Amino acid sequence: MKKILLFTLLLAATSAIAKDIKTAVLTLQPQMHCAGCENKVKNNLRFVKGIKTIEASAAKQCVVVTYDAEKTSVQKLIQSLKKDGYTAKEVKADKK
Amino acid sequence: MKMRTLAIILCAVLMIQTRLSAQQVDSLSLYDLNAVSVKKRGIGTTRVAGAENATRINREELFRAACCNLGESFTTNPSVDVNYSDAATGAKQIRLLGLSGRYVQMLAENLPDFRGAAAPYALDYVPGPWLQSIQVSKGAASVKNGYESITGQIDVEYLKPDGDEGLELNLYGNTLSRVETNAVGNLHINQKLSTELLAHWQDDYGHHDINRDGFLDQPNVRQLHLQNRWKLRTDRYIFHGGVSLLDEQRDGGQTSHTVRGSHSNLYKIGIETARYEAYMKHAFILDPDHGTNIALMGTGSLHEVDAAYGNKAYTARERNGYAQLMLESNLTDLHNLSAGLSLNHDYFTRDEKETVGGAYAQYTYNLRNKVVAMAGLRADHSSMHGTFVTPRLHLKLVPNQTLSLRLSAGKGYRTVHALAENHYLLMSGRQLQIEPLHQESAWNYGLSTSVYVPLFGKTLRINAEYYHTRFSHQAIIDYDSDPTLISIANLHGRSYSNTLQVDATYPVVRGLDLTAAWRLNEVMTTYGGRLMRQPLTSRYKGLVSISYKTPLELWQFDLTMQLNGGGRMPTPINNEWSSSFHAYEQLSAQITRWFRHFSVYIGGENLTAVRQRHPIINASDPWSPAFEPTMVWGPTHGAMAYAGVRVNLWNKH
Repeated sequence: MKKILLFTLLLAATSAIAKDIKTAVLTLQPQMHCAGCENKVKNNLRFVKGIKTIEASAAKQCVVVTYDAEKTSVQKLIQSLKKDGYTAKEVKADKK
Repeated sequence: MKMRTLAIILCAVLMIQTRLSAQQVDSLSLYDLNAVSVKKRGIGTTRVAGAENATRINREELFRAACCNLGESFTTNPSVDVNYSDAATGAKQIRLLGLSGRYVQMLAENLPDFRGAAAPYALDYVPGPWLQSIQVSKGAASVKNGYESITGQIDVEYLKPDGDEGLELNLYGNTLSRVETNAVGNLHINQKLSTELLAHWQDDYGHHDINRDGFLDQPNVRQLHLQNRWKLRTDRYIFHGGVSLLDEQRDGGQTSHTVRGSHSNLYKIGIETARYEAYMKHAFILDPDHGTNIALMGTGSLHEVDAAYGNKAYTARERNGYAQLMLESNLTDLHNLSAGLSLNHDYFTRDEKETVGGAYAQYTYNLRNKVVAMAGLRADHSSMHGTFVTPRLHLKLVPNQTLSLRLSAGKGYRTVHALAENHYLLMSGRQLQIEPLHQESAWNYGLSTSVYVPLFGKTLRINAEYYHTRFSHQAIIDYDSDPTLISIANLHGRSYSNTLQVDATYPVVRGLDLTAAWRLNEVMTTYGGRLMRQPLTSRYKGLVSISYKTPLELWQFDLTMQLNGGGRMPTPINNEWSSSFHAYEQLSAQITRWFRHFSVYIGGENLTAVRQRHPIINASDPWSPAFEPTMVWGPTHGAMAYAGVRVNLWNKH
């Protein structure tokens, strides 16, 4: 029983480690101009399978999304935003 | 062996946590994200800018509970109490600053509403799913909306015609045999013109009698409410208008389901209500740079009530018309001036009618929102009460980013329509005696402070406030001077209220908000020459509310616990009840799951099943003078569970 429990935990740990979490930075057209637009974008993306976090900023005109690459992709995010009338492009972020 | 296994398990757990966190940190560090604002969960209750002590309960806060109607929209609010007026009709009243909701001016879209004959059941006439927000102002409010706010103002804002286009449905049911449906549909006809249709239907069909006193615990209510609203917006002109129709049948009392034995001579309660309303608002923008605009607003309503309480009947046909002309301008960045005229007409009968014409002026000084002073004065002439003057003063000081102070002082008045506003008292077996009543008037003074304390990287918001209301003239519902009758009479003596409230809100961790509040009420009135605590009023109230949203806000968990203090009971006739009632708690909870096009919620109210065991005195003999269903201090029904679904159709967010 203990061995089964131990094995299960190690398996969970391995699964967690194996997740391919990626980050994408997107710009949108038309641009976001208020908190309402930020909420609209967030409401669109949060139901996409595999999304982990969403940060939208009308001030900086970008959306930062972390996602599980095994479940979704940047293309799927772009397609989802297209349904709400947004044309999204991924930008390459500057490394620190 | 056991220790080694435990150590391995702990290491595995730590490994999982660390790895996940590291992934997130590693990913974010690749990008220059300093300029990106971190998305916090939306704030359900926000403070309104300006000198008045006002908070806005936003739609997010309303979604924390089922909020079927306005009366149930204050479950998580520490400032507003909602209680049943009696144990048989479902009439609810709110309390603000310890005093009856009669002294709160009710507005809908900034226009006076729910007055007179509509007052007893007004809280049930506003469906919660129709609301965009509720603004609660404490203390004497701005003179712009009139003289009737004594303890405060509640302004309900409906969803707007020019909001997101689409259709939203809400279906709800609970274990007290209530079902209801709400629909809100918006159509943008073009870029300037939009319209909205709001519909509400409810049916409370149960025959619950949990304490087996022969009376329905909750009345059977069937209500249909429809509204059509329009909005037109151009560069220099805004029009907002609409019509409303409400039809309600409310039946309570004894039924063949609840009474054993003979069903002849059952005590029945039946209230038929029809309400027709129309409103319009025109705003002409004269100088956009200075915000100079002139507005003409008006409402009209017809409220018809036919009520039967056993062998007593009450009928009212109230007609109301209200118009206001308002001019407003920012003279400079520092100075704002508003002035206007108003006319209100209430007609019940040839002998009960009132026309009030008035004028006001209000000056606001605003030094970059650090110092805001608002002084208003209005003069009104009433066909019933003559001329009276309403002064109001509000001051807001913001010495730094962490502290703000507000002071207010003002006078308010109210014309009493004793029977129209209190016809539920006809249920009592006691004789109801009403003397000719003066106009009510009172001074209200308030001091409130808000402190923002940085704490572990987040902000602890603490509010503290004190309000004093002192009546010069008041209509007293007196159970005490002569217990054999209920008299509504003019105040002879002192009547005042002191309330002290402290509340704090803190985001404990991301997505988790905690609110705690404590309020003390001292409400004293003179009954039969004796200064006594106002009966059926809790001495204190405590509230703790927790709300948690998962990071993507797909799940929401809400829990609210209220502790309502005990208080004094009215003088009994023959020791039918105790001289005081005890404190009681109220626990409510809700879980919401959000999906792309719909959300489902499940919850419960009064989960500890607290109830006043025998709210109807002498229920076995409702035709006797000792029959008394208005001695209500707590919940009259037990625990209740509910579930519902909100569906967004056709692109509505």
